[in-house]
Amino acid sequence: MSPETVLRAEKLVKVYRSDSVETPALRGVDLEISRGEFTAVAGPSGSGKSTLLHLLGGLDRPTSGEVFLEGRALSSLSSEELARLRLERIGFVFQSYNLIPVLTVLENVAFVLELRGVPKKERERRAREILSELGIEKYADQFPHRLSGGEQQRVAVARAVVGAPAIVLADEPTANLDGENSRALIDLMRRLNDSRETTFLFATHDSRLLDRAKRLLILEDGRITADRAGEGPWDSVQVTQGA
Amino acid sequence: MRYALRSLRRARRRSLYTFLAAFYPALILVVMFGFVAGELRGMFESATKLETGHLQIRGGEELPGGALPIFSLPEGVLEELGRRGDLKLLTLRLDLPALASAGSRSLGVVVQGVEPKRVSEISPIPGLISEGRYLAGPGEAVVGEELAELLDLRVGDTLVLLSAHPEAGMGAGAVRVVGIFRAPQAEMGRTVVQVPLETARRLVRRENAITSVVAFVRGVEGPWDAWRISRTAKELKEFLPEGLAVKGFQELAPEVAVYMRIARPVLAAFSGIFFVLGGLVVLNSFYLSFLERTRELGVIRALGASRRWLMGAVMGEALFLAGSGAALGALLGAGVVALVEHLGGLRMPGAYSEFLRAFGLEPILHLRVTPWEVLGSALAMIAVAALSAWYPARRAARLDPVEAMRHVT
Ligand SMILES: Nc1ncnc2c1ncn2[C@@H]1O[C@H](COP(=O)(O)OP(=O)(O)OP(=O)(O)O)[C@@H](O)[C@H]1O
Ligand SMILES: [Mg+2]
Repeated sequence: MSPETVLRAEKLVKVYRSDSVETPALRGVDLEISRGEFTAVAGPSGSGKSTLLHLLGGLDRPTSGEVFLEGRALSSLSSEELARLRLERIGFVFQSYNLIPVLTVLENVAFVLELRGVPKKERERRAREILSELGIEKYADQFPHRLSGGEQQRVAVARAVVGAPAIVLADEPTANLDGENSRALIDLMRRLNDSRETTFLFATHDSRLLDRAKRLLILEDGRITADRAGEGPWDSVQVTQGA
Repeated sequence: MRYALRSLRRARRRSLYTFLAAFYPALILVVMFGFVAGELRGMFESATKLETGHLQIRGGEELPGGALPIFSLPEGVLEELGRRGDLKLLTLRLDLPALASAGSRSLGVVVQGVEPKRVSEISPIPGLISEGRYLAGPGEAVVGEELAELLDLRVGDTLVLLSAHPEAGMGAGAVRVVGIFRAPQAEMGRTVVQVPLETARRLVRRENAITSVVAFVRGVEGPWDAWRISRTAKELKEFLPEGLAVKGFQELAPEVAVYMRIARPVLAAFSGIFFVLGGLVVLNSFYLSFLERTRELGVIRALGASRRWLMGAVMGEALFLAGSGAALGALLGAGVVALVEHLGGLRMPGAYSEFLRAFGLEPILHLRVTPWEVLGSALAMIAVAALSAWYPARRAARLDPVEAMRHVT
């Protein structure tokens, strides 16, 4: 693997088993993500996007196959070690309910640094810095419920990047946003990708957002059916129909 | 831990319930400790001061019929006992079963031969004189109001005593009633006739005759110090001549000793109910809070919090609430006890005061609680709360982040 490879997946298979019903969610995914990429994973509902991101982020374990984060095989780690790895090397943006309601915006952003044991002054300085870079420092002392959905997701992005992770995984971060806010959020992530060289991998089924991605993966029925590099825009028909 | 504290503020009502769930049991337990100690001390004091002293030296076991053997202490023994540092007051008693007669009426009584100068330490009678005066010299007697009424006695009347001791045989003498006392118990007022020791000795025609040496042990303030009595009793047994018996307070007033033994376990069991209830409230509230926050805790775990952190967050909340609740409850309990004492103790209401009187207690309860009991009550409640919060905390620590984030509240 090249020295720039951040994340690599080999023959990832995930089968969900519940009450003797087996649902294959991933049927053998090979993938390599390099530093500085801004990659979108698109695909219809149920195609396995969330599952893939969970496995890549060490939130869940594959049925078979392996994930390497910066060269480390995740299967060799205990769940506590995985948590530590997530804390230190991965940023997450979830679909919703990202923020801790009892903490202010500033505290939410600083939270991952607090878990890492960064002293209060230092983590607040870094949190403020990222908030102002994203133009949302005016919300620093607000509680999340006072913010709009778009603002909340921007705070979540700030939290994901504040610890300078190896990669930010975002699972449908715009699912609850309208078109304008969705685009604004993706633009924001893209700006961070440009300015900080933060690596992003985000899932979406909104084809209008894909033209901001530098690389596009199409996932269908648990398999990657297309992998396009280069700037968009891509033909939206191509996207939804799997190239 | 800011997260834990803020979480408590979010669910104010539940936090309040949890606080109270620790507050009330601690408060109740401390106050009950106060009551029980007060009651025990009251019983102990009335038993030892009305009757028995802390320990007695006797001539042997009780004789059939209940009388005590008559004996004399060898020369010098009393002086030697008096020099012991752990004994406070020694006084001699000669108790005889007798028939008391005045006019045409007779009644069975106990003649208590006492040393009038020292008797106030082991008998309340000098302080209970309602008519006339207490004993001053030989040939005098004081009787209870009940006996005076039954025998139609007045101060100045003559009372004939006919003693009948199984060992000493019969003896007769006349005494003059110089005082009448109001006994705390009717039984005592009907049966006790106090006379000077030498007057009682004349009935058995033996110099130096006694039935018991009554002693108090230094440093004994309540039943909780009873171990000192046992220790001294054991030492005396070795020191005294063969054949003499040393009876500690536990043997002299067995009913009080039994009550003392069961009071604390009963209290513990009783307060255990409150503790279990408190624990269930804590468990319930933290489990609900765990369910409500599953998604949020899942996000925190997904971000990379360790199990220890999650466990600590939930336990921290529980310990903060239960700790402050239990501490304030216990302190308030101690405050209540101190305030009641400050105001002169608790006057018991009617029916209960009758019950106390039957035991020879004054119907005023002096509450008492030790710092250890206050601390122990608070710590016990905190331990119960910690135990109750442990399960929800563990659930929080073991959450699967993916499942938790999918959780619908
Ligand atoms: N915990 C689970 N138990 C059983 N089946 C599951 C579970 N999670 C996902 N699946 C199934 O696995 C498949 C892939 O699901 P996944 O959530 O990864 O798809 P997705 O592309 O993220 O879909 P969406 O766009 O709706 O979010 C689906 O068929 C889904 O029903
Ligand atoms: Mg999904």
